[in-house]
Formats: sequence, structure tokens, C-alpha cells
Amino acid sequence: MSHVATVPDLAAVEAAVAGVPDPELPPVTLGMLGMVHDVRVDDDGRVAVELLPTFSGCPATEMMERDVVSAVSEVEGVAAVAVRFRFDPPWTATRITPEGHARLREFGIAPPGGAVPGVAPAGRRTLPLALAGSSPESTVRHCPYCGSDRTERESAFGPTPCRDIRFCHACQQPFEAFKDL
Amino acid sequence: MNEYLTVDPRTAMLLAIADDELVTGHRHGHWTGVAPSLEEDLAFSTISQDEINHADVWYSLIASARDPEGTGDARRTVDELGLGRPPEAYRHAVLCERPPRDFAYTLARHWAYDHADAVRLAVLADSKDAEIAAVATKLLHEERYHLEHADHWFRRLAHGGDTAAGELAAGLEAALPEALWLFEPLPEEDQLVADGLLPAYSASMLVRWLEIVAPALEAADLGGTLPAEVELAGTDWVLPEAHFAEQGGRYGHHTADFTEDVWPEMTSLYRAHPGASW
Repeated sequence: MSHVATVPDLAAVEAAVAGVPDPELPPVTLGMLGMVHDVRVDDDGRVAVELLPTFSGCPATEMMERDVVSAVSEVEGVAAVAVRFRFDPPWTATRITPEGHARLREFGIAPPGGAVPGVAPAGRRTLPLALAGSSPESTVRHCPYCGSDRTERESAFGPTPCRDIRFCHACQQPFEAFKDL
Repeated sequence: MNEYLTVDPRTAMLLAIADDELVTGHRHGHWTGVAPSLEEDLAFSTISQDEINHADVWYSLIASARDPEGTGDARRTVDELGLGRPPEAYRHAVLCERPPRDFAYTLARHWAYDHADAVRLAVLADSKDAEIAAVATKLLHEERYHLEHADHWFRRLAHGGDTAAGELAAGLEAALPEALWLFEPLPEEDQLVADGLLPAYSASMLVRWLEIVAPALEAADLGGTLPAEVELAGTDWVLPEAHFAEQGGRYGHHTADFTEDVWPEMTSLYRAHPGASW
């Protein structure tokens, strides 16, 4: 926390926000997950951060808010930090960075994407709602351990709202996958 | 708290949606620890968590409208909206407050409710109220998993032999007549539609829902479970307008399943420690 009127360096503040680990998946950061929407710094040292939650009901959002405030407060010149979660644009799995994909895989979690790529314009619904028929069960994930695509989804619900449970028939290993949103 | 008995049309609409989600979440949560399989325990616990948090998000839109400057404690307002109202100020449909009964009834209600919720969210995604549209768009992404789960079990039971199909049919016969009341017209709905907050009338959302569930029931040889009041006139589904002549859940009318069961349990901690931070 600072005393004199040093205007905080925007790049340093952005790096502090982006570097906050996901409380439930510490190997990946908010930046890697693409959850940072906007960071603003004003001359009085006040910082406004806007984050996009992955799942609206994620119980980790309050921890993230606390961790962001704590990380940003370390930057010289920062007087106050306000964190806001917003839904527009909706977070989608396409926001995860290549580094985020690699880290998730290292952690034993299959990143989204792969068989169903596609980026939709910002602010638009990106996934058609399956009212009947088509199902994301068909989205094949490569096993994070052996790389095989001989995998299947065993349950759409896993240890957190954003993950599901899969099984690899090639290496006989269960694994988790980050959901497509 | 009686300030919540008479509210503006936008608040009444948001309460109807949020209360549906909150009470559904509480009822689904009854399977935590006792579902027929570990996967279903996880599924219903997750869906329950999702629904209660979705209620939280909808309540927060009421809280932010009451305090546009953001000077108050929004968390406190949201808690008060969710847990601090008298039972007659809740606006969910009666369907949501029914006990889980057996697993087949739970799945039948889950299927009917989540298809209705999907129809509603798709409509609200085009709301002229930017906050409502943004939330609806976000939740549509998440609810996809609930629908998929509900459809999976619908198919599994419908084609799982006489016992499974019979149990599902009994569940549907109990759930579907009350599911129609998810589309009970909202207070001052004409104004909501005219203002573009609600881009389609409840009556037209009901037709969209019937266009999805009726063919699915027919295809599963369960067409007989559709309530008798619903008729097919040519190619259009029709429910006589008089069906909603008496007021239901949207106007705070509930059964003992809510007033003497869900409500006392759901609010007991809040009533014991009003204003506590969680």
C-alpha cells in the first residue's frame, strides 16, 4: 500500500490480476483462463477490475475477488481495488489461452476445444441450446495422459461446476475435462 | 418485509424466475447423499448448486435496481430477497415446491422444468433490459447441461422396459399438470411485453414448450401423460385461457409443501441470525 501519489503502472496491475491462481485449479491463472475482461487504473490510484466468471454459480468467485484485491494491492501506488463480475460477454471455453490449455493438460484435465472449435462474435450466444437431439456428449477429448482420442464421458457432473468426468480406453485412466460453455 | 408483497412488474418477473430456481435447487438438494448412484448424487448436487446460484444472480438484478449507485450492501439485499421474505411473497410455481417423491417423479419434473426454463431463457436473452439479457445468455450456456441430463434420463426410462416406463409415466402424470403453471401469466405482463423486458407472453412460451415436450412424449409412447386440457387445434397447441383464471404461484399462492416444509427449512438459519454474513 502506498502513500505518495504514484500513479500505478497499468501493465503491472494487469499482470497482477492475470497472475492470480484459480483457487480450485492452482496451476492455471485467471489470465490463462481468459477471465479478465477489463482493468482500469485512475490517477488517484483506484483500480477497477472486471472479471468473467466461468460458471455463474462458481463458489470460488469470492476467493478470486479476495485474491485479486490482495495481489493488486501489492502494486505500487494502488489505493483501492474494486472487483466486479460481469456476464456480458459470457465467458466461453474459447477464451482459455494456449498456455492455459497446456497447464490444464499437465494437471490431468483435458482442455476444451479439439473436435468442436469455433469462435463466435463477442456478446452473442456461442452455443446453440440443445432443446432435443444433439448433445455435447459427442465432443471427443484427447486423454491428458496418453493423448488418445479413445475416450468417453462418464458423467457430465464432476468435482466443480466447470469440470466433467471422462475415461480413457487406451490407458485405462479416468480423467477430468473442462466443460465447453 | 411486506414490502415484497407488492412490487413493480420487473421485480415480480425476476422474483418469479429466481424463486423457481431457488426452490427447485432446494428440492434437488434433497438427493445429496441418498441418490441411487454416486453419479446421480453428483449430478443433483451440482444442479442444485447451479440453480441456487442462478437464483442469487437473478436476485442481484433486483438488488442493483434498488441501489443504482452501489452504495449499499448488495450481498445483504440478495440474502434478504432469497431468505427474508414471508412465504406468501415467493412467486415460484407450485411444481417447484413439491417434494422429490421418488426418483422417477424427480426426473419427470426435472425434464419438464428444465425445458421450460430453457424456453424462458431463450426469450429473455432478447430482453431490452441489457442486464436481464446478459444473465439469460450466460445461464443458457450452463443450463444446457441440465437439459442434457434430463433428456438422457427421459430416454433411458422411456425405453428401459415396462417398469421404468411405467414409473416415468406416473411421474409425468403428477408433474405435467403443475408444469403448465410455470407459464401462469405474470403480474402486469402486458406492460412487461410492451416495454420489451419480456419479449414474449407466457402463453406463447407455453406453446413453444409444448412444441418441444409434446412430440418427445409422443415419440416415447407417453403422449397420454399430457394434461387433458391441452389440445392440438390443427397444428397449434392450445390451452384454454380460463385455465389460469385463479391465481397461482406467481401471485404468492402456495401449498403446505412450501409454507410448512421448504420455507421453514430453507429460511431457518436466516431467521435465527437475521443479517448475518455467510
